[in-house]
Amino acid sequence: MGKEKATNRVLSIFFTILSLAWIYPMFMILVNSFKTESSINTTSVFELLGASNFNGLANYVNALTRQGFAAAFMNSLIITVTSVALILVCCSMCAWYVVRVNNRFCKAVYFLFVFSMVVPFQMLMFTLSGLADRMGLNTPLNICFIYLGFGAGLAVFMFAGFVKTIPTEIEEAAMIDGCSPLQVFFHVVLPIMKPTYISVGILETMWVWNDYLLPYLVLDSTKYKTIPILIQYFRGGFGHVELGPMMACIMMVIVPIVVVYLVCQRYIISGVVSGAVKG
Amino acid sequence: MAEIILKNIKKVYPAEKERKHPFGKKADHEPKKSNLQVTDEGVVAVQDFNLTVHDQEFVVLVGPSGCGKSTTLRMIAGLEDISSGDLYIDGKRVNDVAPKDRDIAMVFQSYALYPNMTVYENMAFTLELKKVPKDEIDRKVRDAAEILGITQYLDRKPKALSGGQRQRVAIGRAIVRDPKVFLMDEPLSNLDAKLRNQMRAELIKLRHKVHGTFVYVTHDQTEAMTLGDRIVIMRDGYVQQIGTPQEVFNHPANLFVAGFIGVPQMNFFDARLVHVGNEFHVETPTFSVSLAPETCMKLSEAGVDFGSGQVVCGARPEQIELARPNESGAVRGKIVVSELMGSTVHVHADVDGAEFVLVIPTVDFSRNGGEDFLDGGDIWFKFEPNAVHLFDKATERNLI
Amino acid sequence: MGKVLKKWWPLFVLPTVLSFTFGFIIPFFQGAYLSFCKFKTINKATFVGFSNYAAAFQDPEFAHAFWLTAAFAFLSTVLINVIALAIALALTRKGLKGTNAFRTVFFMPNLIGGIVLGYIWQILINAVLSSVGAQLLSLNTTAGFWGMIVLTLWQQVGYMMIIYIAGLQSIPSDYLEAAKVDGANAWQTLWKVKIPNLMSTITICLFLSLTNGFKLFDQNLALTGGDPDHMSEMLALNIYNTFYSRVGAKWMGIGQAKAVIFCILVVCISLVQLKITRSKEVQQ
Repeated sequence: MGKEKATNRVLSIFFTILSLAWIYPMFMILVNSFKTESSINTTSVFELLGASNFNGLANYVNALTRQGFAAAFMNSLIITVTSVALILVCCSMCAWYVVRVNNRFCKAVYFLFVFSMVVPFQMLMFTLSGLADRMGLNTPLNICFIYLGFGAGLAVFMFAGFVKTIPTEIEEAAMIDGCSPLQVFFHVVLPIMKPTYISVGILETMWVWNDYLLPYLVLDSTKYKTIPILIQYFRGGFGHVELGPMMACIMMVIVPIVVVYLVCQRYIISGVVSGAVKG
Repeated sequence: MAEIILKNIKKVYPAEKERKHPFGKKADHEPKKSNLQVTDEGVVAVQDFNLTVHDQEFVVLVGPSGCGKSTTLRMIAGLEDISSGDLYIDGKRVNDVAPKDRDIAMVFQSYALYPNMTVYENMAFTLELKKVPKDEIDRKVRDAAEILGITQYLDRKPKALSGGQRQRVAIGRAIVRDPKVFLMDEPLSNLDAKLRNQMRAELIKLRHKVHGTFVYVTHDQTEAMTLGDRIVIMRDGYVQQIGTPQEVFNHPANLFVAGFIGVPQMNFFDARLVHVGNEFHVETPTFSVSLAPETCMKLSEAGVDFGSGQVVCGARPEQIELARPNESGAVRGKIVVSELMGSTVHVHADVDGAEFVLVIPTVDFSRNGGEDFLDGGDIWFKFEPNAVHLFDKATERNLI
Repeated sequence: MGKVLKKWWPLFVLPTVLSFTFGFIIPFFQGAYLSFCKFKTINKATFVGFSNYAAAFQDPEFAHAFWLTAAFAFLSTVLINVIALAIALALTRKGLKGTNAFRTVFFMPNLIGGIVLGYIWQILINAVLSSVGAQLLSLNTTAGFWGMIVLTLWQQVGYMMIIYIAGLQSIPSDYLEAAKVDGANAWQTLWKVKIPNLMSTITICLFLSLTNGFKLFDQNLALTGGDPDHMSEMLALNIYNTFYSRVGAKWMGIGQAKAVIFCILVVCISLVQLKITRSKEVQQ
């Protein structure tokens, strides 16, 4: 037993060090986001803050005012919230229908949904962006329609997996109690599926919020940028890259994510696990 | 008044469609394709179902797995389409009426409580959908809770209830609707044996408190016998017999019913029916049994030609009595095993390769010294002459 | 339920199916068709048969990207899973303090998008490279490859670890206790009890990391952008560059043909996975 304890202590120390190393990249960005532009270069990024290189919130102010961060953040937020909401409502209804009706049409649709999860985006990026352009889906709100179609695979798959575990007797009871199918869905099925809504919501949020290529190709990017697009622009932009504001941007992207993660960690982790195990 | 009439009801599941019975009803109710008739249209789960359930009658559909009893109930509820035939509730043809408009309530085996709602909300749900005033809902829910003794659980979620309590809530949900017809699909099957007996007694009490017509499905013949005013015994989609518990017990229509009703099962043995003058008796290679005069009369009245006279005889374990060794008409068997059940002893005896089960009151058992009935020992018994059932070997029909 | 529900399809399935048709089905089949065409825009396409495919296979950059991707996917899969499983095993030990905090930390990078990750690591790796006097990422092929490996590890180890932990926790404790009673040591328990019971989880994780490795795009774009001279360019990025960075109409069709090849490759991997998972399920 004593040996066991000693091993645990060693492991504890090892993982503590490893954890610190794990956070270091983010910590490094945090430190540098407060430095003056002139004191950020490839050799000095490891230096901690001091009186000589401290720039206060200047980089953040710069990022928010001059680099279009606020607009990009809003675009990302609008796209993510709307798309995920659409995906959750439409795909859960669709999954329930597909499982319960289960005729030939439903089986075919379900197969296509599952198939779409496997297909890499590169396969349709050109045709999709062309189609989206012609249909006017190149604004932050309209792009959600594409996200609904593109995110449907995973969402329907996960919802359908859960619907199959719901006893039909409950729905039959509701029908006898006087519910229309719509009422059955919203009064009975939806509350039962709550955990799946959370899982799917988290997975789709992670995807849409971080997605780069789809909005980059589909959105009219002279007018609308999302956060990943904005950050990519920093580097691809002409002339000198302002590292300070860029790091401030990265920080402002990471911090909300980390906060949300720390608050709903339990849901996120279980959501990810169920998504992986089913997928 | 709520009378249910089923006229020539038939249910066919299209052949190519692999129908999976929803949820955990397992193979239990899954029509077993091997035994069911398969026609061009598909698998026939129920056919030629004719029954009139009278107002406030309690009818039990009973049969083994896949006999079509649940399907029949679900057709009455409107959860399954009726392939052909007519279903009347209260004189109105309801084949195409939606379940919610049939004025029925259903209790499911798995209770089917809404997990997201409290007990109160579960019971109130149907009334809310009907836009019943709040105070009336409250009154009805509390009345029902009172009847079922679940008032203290009204604020709980189903998850926090035991099986028995959940079952009460499910029944409560049916009661608050005050429906014409109560449909119950194996409501007690998920309960443990003790609770099941208790709930069974409560159901009997309940039906005198609420005035409705009950159709109750079970695979358990004890439930059927104790609860039903009439019992419908089904097999492979066909009705085998409809009658009061007394009738089906005493006069089973065929071999199947005879074997299905009664615990322990009726003893069967192959025999030859021999007709001597006005007397009939059955013979096996090792023993023969004279039939009671009434039975003989019925047989001669029936005037059937028995051909080779090959019959299957049935005798209920309780209607076989102990006999003294070598007493006339007594049969000698070898005891295979005897099980002491408390007030009775079940003795399994082997007679020339056929096994007989005897239910002997414990008092008789000890009267004969007890030790005589050790495993491997001999036992002498005889059949009560008027309790021998005769079945045609080919058609399996009751001959009497 | 189905019977009544059936006629409600406009409400329940139409929105999803409609957007799925426009978001996936039409572009997919159009893409498959265009891979046989020469085109600048979708409307002006002329059928050219298999010549795009021939060109794609003859493109040395594509071949290089393929081998690079294969090497990357294989290596990252092995490393991710070995490390993730090791951490998962350690973190499920009884009596180890702070496991929750460690899990939280290891999983965190997974939530950050590939583009952002790429930049964070670009800055960090360049700093390391310059401090040891090596060439920066934009000129350093080896560093680019290993940089992507490290980045992918950083991002995905936590993810796989979480799945492994879930798998380990779902092993009935009876088995472990039985092994203990039978006198198995920790090493034997690992190989005879834990790993065999973890096989389905391992399959899932292997294929997840393998397909992720093949599909990797954002991280590749942000970390190296394919520099130097397409040497760190993986398949997805190669296809992207074929479409949008090459001059000349013929490259569009070739890019689409590459995309189809890429798609078939990924689908095949998934089919293999499906087959393995299915056969496992039968055994159990």
